Amino acid sequence: MNTLITGAGSGIGRATALRLAKRSHICVADKNGANAAAVVKEIEAAGGKATAFEVNVLDGDAVRATVAKAEALGPIDALFNNAGISVRTTIADLTGDEWDLMLDTHARGMFFVAQAVLRNMVPRKKGAIVQTSSDFAVMGVPGMAAYCAAKCAVYSMTKALAQEFGDDKIRVNAIGPGPIDTPILRGGRTEEQYRASVAANEARTPMGRLGKPEEVAAVVDFLLSEKSAYINGQLFHPNGGAVMW
Amino acid sequence: MTDANGQGAVVVTGAGSGIGREITRLLLEQGIPVSAWDLNPGDLTGHNSANLMVRTLDTRDKAALQKAADETVERFGSIAGAATCAGIFRPKPFLEVTQQDWDDHFGINLRGVLFTCQAILPHMRAKKKGSIVLFSSTLARTAKPTTAHYAASKGGVLGLMRVMSLETAKEGIRVNAVSPGIADTPMPNAVMSRDVVLSRAEGNPMGRIGTANDMAQAAIFLLSDDASYVTGQDIRVNGGQDPF
Repeated sequence: MNTLITGAGSGIGRATALRLAKRSHICVADKNGANAAAVVKEIEAAGGKATAFEVNVLDGDAVRATVAKAEALGPIDALFNNAGISVRTTIADLTGDEWDLMLDTHARGMFFVAQAVLRNMVPRKKGAIVQTSSDFAVMGVPGMAAYCAAKCAVYSMTKALAQEFGDDKIRVNAIGPGPIDTPILRGGRTEEQYRASVAANEARTPMGRLGKPEEVAAVVDFLLSEKSAYINGQLFHPNGGAVMW
Repeated sequence: MTDANGQGAVVVTGAGSGIGREITRLLLEQGIPVSAWDLNPGDLTGHNSANLMVRTLDTRDKAALQKAADETVERFGSIAGAATCAGIFRPKPFLEVTQQDWDDHFGINLRGVLFTCQAILPHMRAKKKGSIVLFSSTLARTAKPTTAHYAASKGGVLGLMRVMSLETAKEGIRVNAVSPGIADTPMPNAVMSRDVVLSRAEGNPMGRIGTANDMAQAAIFLLSDDASYVTGQDIRVNGGQDPF
């Protein structure tokens, strides 16, 4: 089995790579090549097999070249389309460039990756894809307009792909994690701001705590496995109950 | 959920047939004790074994549920999980739905679920751990003619699930739902011809109807510690037919 994971150098992508490595070769793709290489080392130390790829999903040509190389290592059966970023800027201060970067990374980047992988999956009539959306796809969050819009685009694309490729025996689902303790949560925040953010997220989450990347990885593992053979086009929330709908 | 060597059973209602039966089978296969409750346990009857306790009961009977819960704890030490699959489905045009139809559907599909959870929750609270899976239906969110009373009862299950998940989230107890699309189980086959049941594959993105195993696997996942950050959610297992 061969699994491609983008954004696999840290956070949820990394945790999923480590978990799936127990049953699959992992193509560890990340825009930060050093992080990708470090995850490959971790997998190998645990007895698994993995290959690192440095790729920025903003670059369509680079994505297609990476998928071709990954495919050459073995047919890609599973894709975790996960690379993502976060900016926190109120709409009044949000620049066009920030908006574009957010939408391009999530919607356009995941489109490039999904398209390149699906071109190989479709003739084989086999495959599973999970794309990282967010709780924020279905809830409005102040200061996060671009992120909310980008993650909702991911969810909408997921539903469309699920309808389009069901006949080809390829399932496409999304995950909508709640507050997870990852580098994204820490990014751009002072220690004090980070602690305030953790407290706010604990307060808004019925379980009263942040999730761990490993807890999201377990859901991704399920959605990429045969155990979810009839789950398609869904947004699955490992979120401690933060959003229910 | 407990591991093969641990303590604690999973209560399965509607365990005598269909999805409940498949969940029971999968749990036993993993070495997890099951307390199987059904009005008609079918061929489970007489199969009491080291890991299986069978009780014949009506989930509308609060006292019987309480007794079965207590006996489960007595036998297996604790209750680690529950899957409420007991339900009925008697489609009828809206104007023909009788008071009896309404009461039967709400009594079994909704009130019985509440009573089942009330019987087992105190046992989970005592252990500060547990996972409950309520079976709703894709019809809780979508619509098909002749299912008004059924759809209403299954919509109620989602409301119950959400509030129960909120009230127990800080106590180590998770509550989620599984909403099946049409599956090849006794329930639809009892009220529709074989041709009609199978014809539902047309128009499904995955080109097939579901199986009891498809639905059971979702419940097994939610019962397991792999779903440790999943609560208050409705997992829709429908091949992508109804995307929300």
